[in-house]
Amino acid sequence: MENHSSIMLEPDPVIELYKRHIDLTLILENLRLTVEERFVKLMRLQQFAEELRRAGQQMEARQ
Amino acid sequence: MTDFSALIPSLVNESVEFIIVGGAAATAHGSARLTEDLDIVYRRTKKNIARLVQTLAPHHPYLRGAPPGLPFAWDESTVLRGLNFTLTTSLGAIDLLGEIAGGGNYENLLPDTERIQLFGVKCLCLNLERLIQTKRAAGRPKDFETIAELETILEQRRRSQ
Repeated sequence: MENHSSIMLEPDPVIELYKRHIDLTLILENLRLTVEERFVKLMRLQQFAEELRRAGQQMEARQ
Repeated sequence: MTDFSALIPSLVNESVEFIIVGGAAATAHGSARLTEDLDIVYRRTKKNIARLVQTLAPHHPYLRGAPPGLPFAWDESTVLRGLNFTLTTSLGAIDLLGEIAGGGNYENLLPDTERIQLFGVKCLCLNLERLIQTKRAAGRPKDFETIAELETILEQRRRSQ
């Protein structure tokens, strides 16, 4: 999954500020997975998000 | 849910030429952010468009967010006349992009791709540096967090080399 790109990216001060709030633990966890495992995890997350949305809609309907 | 495990192999097995970009490419590189769709840049040759149309046809592609019943025909002439399509299918949401901001078309992006293996197939994914470059070029505030995360991944990758 790694290659050597010739693209040079100059630091952007706005992006540098955003980096302070990145959760590195989540990234490190993902980097230990294979590409396929990352997609399987994403699909589980999508399913969870859908269930949360459904639950939210049901709660609104009850109110 | 977008079924990446069905969508990606079906495109590869029908020899559709495409590059994974956007949030799905970010996932491939290790992003922890939730993305709901598969974004691909497809090669705009007649042959490839024909393959793309045939591959997606059984999955009932329709314009995402459009009211039902519009006279939308999923065929080669529709794709030839258009460029970018945001679609819903029975396998989930897919964005078909003829080109992307800051990246251009399939041929422009091809030198900055890497081959990834998943769900039993190999396909092309935009490399991390070019992905960051395209996100930066789009200049959308909603992408700032994503760019910060991708640049953090790049730093981690360089540190471990």
